[in-house]
Amino acid sequence: MDGRDKPGQDDFNLTGKCFNHRNAPAETALAAGPALCNQAENGFMPSLDICSATRPAVALAAGIGLLTLAFGAPAQENGITPSEISIGAIGALTGPLAFIGTPGRDSMMLAFDEINAKGGVCGRKLRLDFEHASSPAESVAAVKKLVEQDKVFILVLASGSTGAAAAADYVRQVGVPTYNLYGSTPIIREPFAKNVFHGAVVPVQVSAAALISMFYDGEYTPKKFGILAGTYAFPQATLKAAQDILGQKGATFTVEQFDIGARDFTSQLVSLQRQSVDSVLVLGSFSEAGFAIKQAREMGMANVRWVVDGSAVSTAIIPILGNADGIRGYYNAPAFPGQTPATREFEARLKKQLGSMPQGRPSVYDLIGYGSGYVVAEAIGATNCQLTRDNLINAWSNLKDAGPTRLDGLDITFPESYSPTDHQGVYRIGAAIVKDGQWQVYRVIDKP
Amino acid sequence: MLTELGFVVLAGIKFGALYALAALGLVVVHKATKTVNFAHGAFAMLGAFASFLIVVNWHWPYWAAYLLIPWAIGLIAAAMESVILRPLRQADMFTVVIATVFLGIAISEGFRLTYNTELLAVPSLFAGPPFIVAGVLITRDTLWVIAGALAAALACIALFSYGRFGRGMRAMAANIRGAQLCGYSIDRVYMLAWFLGGGLAGLTGVLIAPVTGVSIDLSIAIITAGFVAGVIGGFDSPKGAIVGGLLLGIAESVSAAYVSSAMKNCVSFLLLFLVLMWRPQGMFPERSGRSV
Repeated sequence: MDGRDKPGQDDFNLTGKCFNHRNAPAETALAAGPALCNQAENGFMPSLDICSATRPAVALAAGIGLLTLAFGAPAQENGITPSEISIGAIGALTGPLAFIGTPGRDSMMLAFDEINAKGGVCGRKLRLDFEHASSPAESVAAVKKLVEQDKVFILVLASGSTGAAAAADYVRQVGVPTYNLYGSTPIIREPFAKNVFHGAVVPVQVSAAALISMFYDGEYTPKKFGILAGTYAFPQATLKAAQDILGQKGATFTVEQFDIGARDFTSQLVSLQRQSVDSVLVLGSFSEAGFAIKQAREMGMANVRWVVDGSAVSTAIIPILGNADGIRGYYNAPAFPGQTPATREFEARLKKQLGSMPQGRPSVYDLIGYGSGYVVAEAIGATNCQLTRDNLINAWSNLKDAGPTRLDGLDITFPESYSPTDHQGVYRIGAAIVKDGQWQVYRVIDKP
Repeated sequence: MLTELGFVVLAGIKFGALYALAALGLVVVHKATKTVNFAHGAFAMLGAFASFLIVVNWHWPYWAAYLLIPWAIGLIAAAMESVILRPLRQADMFTVVIATVFLGIAISEGFRLTYNTELLAVPSLFAGPPFIVAGVLITRDTLWVIAGALAAALACIALFSYGRFGRGMRAMAANIRGAQLCGYSIDRVYMLAWFLGGGLAGLTGVLIAPVTGVSIDLSIAIITAGFVAGVIGGFDSPKGAIVGGLLLGIAESVSAAYVSSAMKNCVSFLLLFLVLMWRPQGMFPERSGRSV
């Protein structure tokens, strides 16, 4: 890719003007002939009977088509209209996983509203079509609806690992540009797919390594590890990675599991107590981790170092515990809400948008949703407003340091960089601790 | 080993006492009206939510929650019976039961729309150091939940067995026409039964709020446990509801600790099937006799 093709900030703006597509080289039009034939053969253009025509005729037809497009005819790509770009998203809005999907929807909406208020991208407003999906079956159905019925341009998986794992095969098969916001499961990451991009949530190998490293912070030496893990997809993925790391370290550990939404952890804690663990890793939501630690204290498990999963690093865990000081966990953003002026401003904007701030929010899912909304906008802009899915995938694959800052958004997430062979946007992670009743990121871990 | 068992059984009794209170609310309504109130879990969730409002949002003292919420939820339940279920009384029982199912869903979804959050945490009532009995730490909260739930359940049974109000409900359950001839009003007795059931649900909510937090899932958790405890004990037996609740709580806790944590949810349904197959009338049914 030469310098002209390389997407940059100057290739698009927020005022509705698009640059390079009017200057598309003639070679592009000529080259489109065989591509159209391929599309027809693949069943995408069944009514277009041009493949038997001669090559110059094909090239001419394609050239005319491109010129027509260039001079203002409506775009034909799914999810693109002259005034809007449709972005479909799935995530849980009710149930035990709503702590992931609801912030994803709200904060992406906030980002899109801000971008649209400045004119949108490529002269079009960004429209979010959010479908509730909690279980694997709901996730697959919601993704199919968005792609096949609503015909969205981009698909966003704001559903955590459960939904991402369920949708993985389908999105690979249909090739729709897909942005995985929260799923850390390897099922959505492996095998590599050129249309699937992963944002702020790092692979489980990275987060598990960060979690284990936090046990050793402050000259603490763990003697025996206990792992309390939920039986659902996200904790299970991290559990496997954590077991691998602890195995490599030669550490002694024991694993206890609990069901989603569990509130009574007596049986698991009794087992951990029996084995005299002094360091416990809790892989589950903030409510699960909160009640597990609360009950452990009631059972006299003192002097235990608690490290909780990223999904439990939330202000909502503090009222459950009363005193949560000393609890550690990883955070997928450089600063906790309230820790920096940017995160405080974000909180104010989100509160204004929602009317009132629900307990435990803004959470990391809010921060990521907001940052990801801007990454989507930047990727669309990087196509030079030639809005096809192929162009989007190519442009996204070459994004560097994408995030809200470039588009005048708030700097609250780690910037995301991609390459054609690596679609993991972020490898950084924040190590957080509760001090004086407040979460704060105390160090940033770079690709542990 | 015994200490470990102590922890496990204590946790079982704690949750079992709450299940017993939930089951008793179901049994009271069923005994008087022959209706299984599937909105009972939602009433309890409403009670838990009200305790969050009183204790956390409004910073009122905890005793205000215990004093006000059972009455408030009782009145709401009685009002629901008067407005929604009374017109359906002429229809078959199935219609009334389905109405309670959807009433419960409506209350839960109303809560979700009002307070869209995963969990609302309610602080513990007591903050003092725990008691240690034979190596087992017993927190003041645990004692309070067990003692409070069981005392309330026993008081309810006394009221049901010896009060005029309880006699009316029992008479209505035995023979509606006969009860009417004796001067009992169907409307009044049904409304009182729902009031008492709602009050017990409200109290369950206040007691359970610091233990599990307040979430929309609480509604399902309470109705499921209460229903299973009711079936185990016998759906017409208030005393059976208490024993059924405690049995269920202990069985869940012990099986999770000594068999597998996955058994916790499984064991309640296993007990339900076993009881329905072998003793469909419940393990402790009320004795029914007639003097001739």
